[in-house]
Amino acid sequence: MITLYNWDLSVNCYKQRLLLSILDVEYESIPVDFYPGWEHKSAEFKRINPLGHIPVIVDDGYKLRDAHAILTYLASKYDPSGRWYPASDPHLLGETAQWMLFAEGTTNTASAARLHVNLGYEFDIEVLREGAHELFRALDEHLWFREREGLDWVTSSPHPTIADLAIFPDVMLSEEGGISRLDYPAIRRWTDRVRRIEGFVVMPGMFEAAKGAPK
Amino acid sequence: MTEAWHPVAASSDLPLRHTFHGQLLGRELAIWRADGGFVNVWENRCLHRGVRLSIGLNDGRELQCQYHGWRYASRTAGCTYIPAHPADAPARTICNRSFLAFERYGLVWTGESPAGELPTVEVLEAADPFGLRNLPVNASAELVIEMLHGHGFQPNAKLDNFGAEIAVQSYGEHCRVLSAMAGGSTTTVVFFVQPVDASRSVIRPVMVGVPEPLVQTDVLRHHNAKLTELRDRIESEAARLPALQPLSAAIEQVPIHLSEVPIGAIGRRKAPLRVQVARKWQTATDIVAIEFESIDGQLPTFQPGAHIDVHLPNGLVRQYSLTNGPGELTHYRVGVKLEAESRGGSASLHETVREGDVVAISEPRNNFPLRRDSLRTVLIAGGIGVTPLLAMAQALHHNDLRYELHYFARADDHVAFRTILDELGDSTQAHLGLSPGGTAAELERILDQPGHAEHVYVCGPGPMLEATRRIAADRGWPDEAVHFEYFQNATEIDDTTSFEINLARSALTLRVGSGETILEVLHQHGVSLGSSCEQGACGTCSVAVLDGEPLHQDVYLSEAERELGDQMMVCVSRTNGKSLTLDI
Repeated sequence: MITLYNWDLSVNCYKQRLLLSILDVEYESIPVDFYPGWEHKSAEFKRINPLGHIPVIVDDGYKLRDAHAILTYLASKYDPSGRWYPASDPHLLGETAQWMLFAEGTTNTASAARLHVNLGYEFDIEVLREGAHELFRALDEHLWFREREGLDWVTSSPHPTIADLAIFPDVMLSEEGGISRLDYPAIRRWTDRVRRIEGFVVMPGMFEAAKGAPK
Repeated sequence: MTEAWHPVAASSDLPLRHTFHGQLLGRELAIWRADGGFVNVWENRCLHRGVRLSIGLNDGRELQCQYHGWRYASRTAGCTYIPAHPADAPARTICNRSFLAFERYGLVWTGESPAGELPTVEVLEAADPFGLRNLPVNASAELVIEMLHGHGFQPNAKLDNFGAEIAVQSYGEHCRVLSAMAGGSTTTVVFFVQPVDASRSVIRPVMVGVPEPLVQTDVLRHHNAKLTELRDRIESEAARLPALQPLSAAIEQVPIHLSEVPIGAIGRRKAPLRVQVARKWQTATDIVAIEFESIDGQLPTFQPGAHIDVHLPNGLVRQYSLTNGPGELTHYRVGVKLEAESRGGSASLHETVREGDVVAISEPRNNFPLRRDSLRTVLIAGGIGVTPLLAMAQALHHNDLRYELHYFARADDHVAFRTILDELGDSTQAHLGLSPGGTAAELERILDQPGHAEHVYVCGPGPMLEATRRIAADRGWPDEAVHFEYFQNATEIDDTTSFEINLARSALTLRVGSGETILEVLHQHGVSLGSSCEQGACGTCSVAVLDGEPLHQDVYLSEAERELGDQMMVCVSRTNGKSLTLDI
């Protein structure tokens, strides 16, 4: 059984909940009072993760921290189709790693802006917003050209990967950080597609997408 | 600028079931394509609580607000359903603000109050348009237009070279046509600039002529790269200029009465719509289907279960239920059965009215509203009573709600609207040629197991309705879960009593004599009250009773509603007492 150290309002914890739900894997959630309890900085929690952040998973005694590392582990272990983390295809694997790094960028800008607005973190909000817009411009352009090729996801795979799931919540909640998506129509269409993946679940602040048109 | 047409989206920005977030001159827009292709451009706020409709759910026919679930129809933006009032029909006047929209050159065009026709650009009329990637720019449209004069790109045949000669032509305030010439080849691109806000724009470039398929991606990438360079230059320039105040678009005030539900109709038997018979065909033995199309503008919103009054050439007024599916607003479709004992209504529609004729109709009125929070909906139709249930079945079907439609008819050739039934598929079942006893047995089977939050809707001839209501009650269906609509009131109306009516709001006391109805007396004294069938079947003239005991002679109210005694149908109902106090 997987144990997830979890906070409902954390995008990084949500990324794990989303993948686990899509892969239909059962897990136990241990709530960490991130705010206002600051529990992830407690001595007790630092015994679980010395860096004092969430999420952390423990799977049959195997412990792992850092959102994007956990996604890699869970997809490799629990997706027998190998599509969510395409380890056997060098091109797709390279693209997945590239867009996972991109997701570090969106987390450190768009989601950081959200922490500033919602929880009062002391960041230079204008720098974060500018940084997020720069990344969103690049992502919108990328996805627009993907659509022209008949492709739906950030990598060139016909199937979504963990890179899509890693970027998605940072984008989907950007408006909480004061970052509008009005200028990014291709990103908005991609968020519809992510929200239509079978097994998709929401987190607070998001809604499900309308069902797709019948084929 | 509010009088000009502007592009606000690329047609390719609007895949089915998506809601696009747009903005024009500071005003936010929710833009969505219905499954039939129609493009809706609406104010980006639900008039209920102001939440953005761009996060709403486009179900292909209606847009549903994420906040309280209000649903709005494609084309009219009229409200079709309010989940907090599942048993009520939303007032017809609840309507979001919508704007005229057209698609041309692969772009969606609209305007706040556009004057005149959507303008054409001659070069784009002569060849097929090819949409390039649109680019948002953080700068005013004026600055973008000015700097487009320094923009450069290569003709399609010479993409790898540089230094093509550029000719610029102005086309009105927000459009520039640039031609790139090099080595004998020329490529022309029309750049439309959309003023999003005081200091934000979108460049929407359209190439004249479609490039060879093999080079299309290269062409798209070339223009995207060149425009990105231009955007960098424009934004650096904009950063040097003084910042502009964002535009503020005036949001129209919603009249306060629109937030109240439902609203009683005022005035009687109005027929404000003129429609043309676009199609008339035999859909079953003795049943014709008629499609009415608007002569001038958009037909108003309807809800499943709604009916219209049709004013016939012979002066009669008859009610017909709409059979339209959700969002189907290009026409109203009704079914008319030729009654053997027609008093001239059905005979007139069958024999006299022809395709091309103009008739007057009322706006749709809904006295048979459909709940969409039911866990299972059982629709029971007898003969021509299928018409309102067809509209309901299509709405339920489209919303993926669980339902079954039981259609009792005399024989196979009496089954109307087969095309719709075929689309509904497995959820419909025909019961043919049953005797009254056989019908009752079948109804007992259908209504055998009432469940929590399940509802029955029945429409058909009087005896069948009574049987259904009786069987449903016997089987334990609660009164409020059984909804019905009679075609007509077969009750023998007693109009011999005479009494007084006190009108609480109008501060009038009037006398109703024998042989007169309350409705007639009200109209004689200039009291305005909506009515439709005037035989106690449709529910339009329902009035709240403040005091006195009504003698109900209608077939609209359920037993429970009758017992409450707080409303009555004034076209047929009266009192055996001395007086009634009415909330008029």
